[in-house]
Amino acid sequence: MATTITAPAQPVTEYAGGTLAREQVSLWRDGWRRLRRNKLALVAVVYLAVLAVIAVVAFFWTPYKPNAIGICDTYAPPTGAHPFGCDELGRDSLSRLMVGTQVSLAEGLGTAIIVLVVGVTVGLIAGYFRGAVDAVISLIINIFYGIPALLVALVLVVLLGQGLLNIMIAISATIWMDMARLVRGQALSLREREYIEAARASGAKSGKILFGHIFPNAMGPIIVQATFVIPVAILTGAFLSFLGLGVPPPQADWGGMASEGVAAIRLVTHIVAFPSLALSLTLLAFNFFGDGLRDAFDPRQKR
Amino acid sequence: MTRGTLIYIGQRVLLIVVTLLVVSFGVFAAVHSLPGNSFISEHLHGAALQAVLHQYGLDRPIPVQYWDFLKGAIHGDLGNSFVIQGEAITPLVLRELSVSMELGGAALIITIGIGMLFGVVAAMRQNTWVDYVLTTIAVIGYSVPSFVLASLGILLFALALPDWTFSLFGTAIGYPLRWQGTYGDIVQLSLPAIALGFYTSGQVTRITRAAMLDVVQQDFIRTARAKGLRSRVVTIRHALRNAMVPVTSILGPLIVSIIAGSVVIENIFGIPGLGKEFVRSITSHDYNVTVGVFTIYALLIGIANLGVDLLYTVIDPRIRY
Repeated sequence: MATTITAPAQPVTEYAGGTLAREQVSLWRDGWRRLRRNKLALVAVVYLAVLAVIAVVAFFWTPYKPNAIGICDTYAPPTGAHPFGCDELGRDSLSRLMVGTQVSLAEGLGTAIIVLVVGVTVGLIAGYFRGAVDAVISLIINIFYGIPALLVALVLVVLLGQGLLNIMIAISATIWMDMARLVRGQALSLREREYIEAARASGAKSGKILFGHIFPNAMGPIIVQATFVIPVAILTGAFLSFLGLGVPPPQADWGGMASEGVAAIRLVTHIVAFPSLALSLTLLAFNFFGDGLRDAFDPRQKR
Repeated sequence: MTRGTLIYIGQRVLLIVVTLLVVSFGVFAAVHSLPGNSFISEHLHGAALQAVLHQYGLDRPIPVQYWDFLKGAIHGDLGNSFVIQGEAITPLVLRELSVSMELGGAALIITIGIGMLFGVVAAMRQNTWVDYVLTTIAVIGYSVPSFVLASLGILLFALALPDWTFSLFGTAIGYPLRWQGTYGDIVQLSLPAIALGFYTSGQVTRITRAAMLDVVQQDFIRTARAKGLRSRVVTIRHALRNAMVPVTSILGPLIVSIIAGSVVIENIFGIPGLGKEFVRSITSHDYNVTVGVFTIYALLIGIANLGVDLLYTVIDPRIRY
């Protein structure tokens, strides 16, 4: 009974003439091997690692206090002391960009976790039980597809309040459907496999079959989908901040900083430039990383 | 039209109606349960506030209020604005809808145009530098937020170009910073439409490229080539037509994401469309307008998705419902 995707690790079959059979490796190691060959994805991983370090460092140290007003002149251009210049209230942009990293990463990862939990649970239930349960869940998914994501997020943020967790919940509510639909499809096909039948015959409970047998076997596509949730969540979060409904001020975040920059675009350009650049690079990195992951773990899927 | 098609359309219309009911009630209940309303700013207290709330019917239970809204909505009356005194919402929203549709339509044309062109060229030059450049542009497309592209455009065309370009070329090059008129002109529309359309064009590029690569391997393409047809004819008449089916499949989500993107773009460029109205209504507690705009959007998307599904049968006669 195959319960997990990891194949038993076997020694390399070596003969005098060299390696004859291909070494049997787990899905994970095989995926990692393929990912390593993708230069663009590797660069993205390095960039994201640096970003994570910056986010952690910003908890303990920033060059100036990110919310301290009047440290330098209003709209002061980049100088040695303030390499990214200063904003409208004379706050140090570098410090605020560093703190903004935390917000963007938290929005991306937090939303991905919520979407993972909700989407996987709902999708497994719909795909495994089928029938009326599936019909209701599919109807809900279709209704959510029928309304523009950003509007739902805006209403939810207003309803729940502008906290970071609330923003994650609001963003999740707009993008959980893809995950649910993917997992539903996986569950629909996996439930017909022999090992699931065997598990059912041996008296395993539904919960055990769903999370112990179907979920692990659908892990590859689920992880790939989850990595694509991250950039979409960061983007939606930036849009919310840009429209003034993101994390409440004075908390620095990239979308809000870009919004302040656009307001001042006729006077100075560095205020809009740096948060925009940071956002764009981060989203690019997550997308390249996600593409690399998909090619590595899901080689059958065409680009 | 076969009987199956009619049944299918009937089901889809039913889904649209259910969606409209659920969405409008959800938003209605949500915004009316919010603390605070648009009358707080008028320094009304006690009995006076109660009188105003009573005048607008806001002191009644939410299901009753929703029932009233529904009765009006069926007759095309979405009620009155709380903030703009005596302004009826239906004509307001319809005018703004036409502005948004102008912008969204232009963005959709740009998205499909750029996306399919890039996708076809990338597929024809698979694994060459042309392919890599175009697919990278596609990833950049959906990685760069639309407001970044918008500000880049403003910097380039409205601010960086010196003043004399205005006098030399008129407004053909110099981009006006403030939106003029209700609908703007083609020059004004160009920048927001490109900023809006570029984001989604990346998805179209990928789908088109993948679909083209899939199609050109099939037998009928080899047959067409063997018949001695010119390569361009094979590409456009045989391959592209079949590659359009997957592209059509993302047309619905494409329209939804263009609508979402227009909320941001309209606010940057000051375009008086539905997206700008929505943000205004929600930040100024003008909740009747919020519900109205939301309902219109849901209706629009429902109709667009139905249209896309019917378009399938035109592009690919093998598809039947």
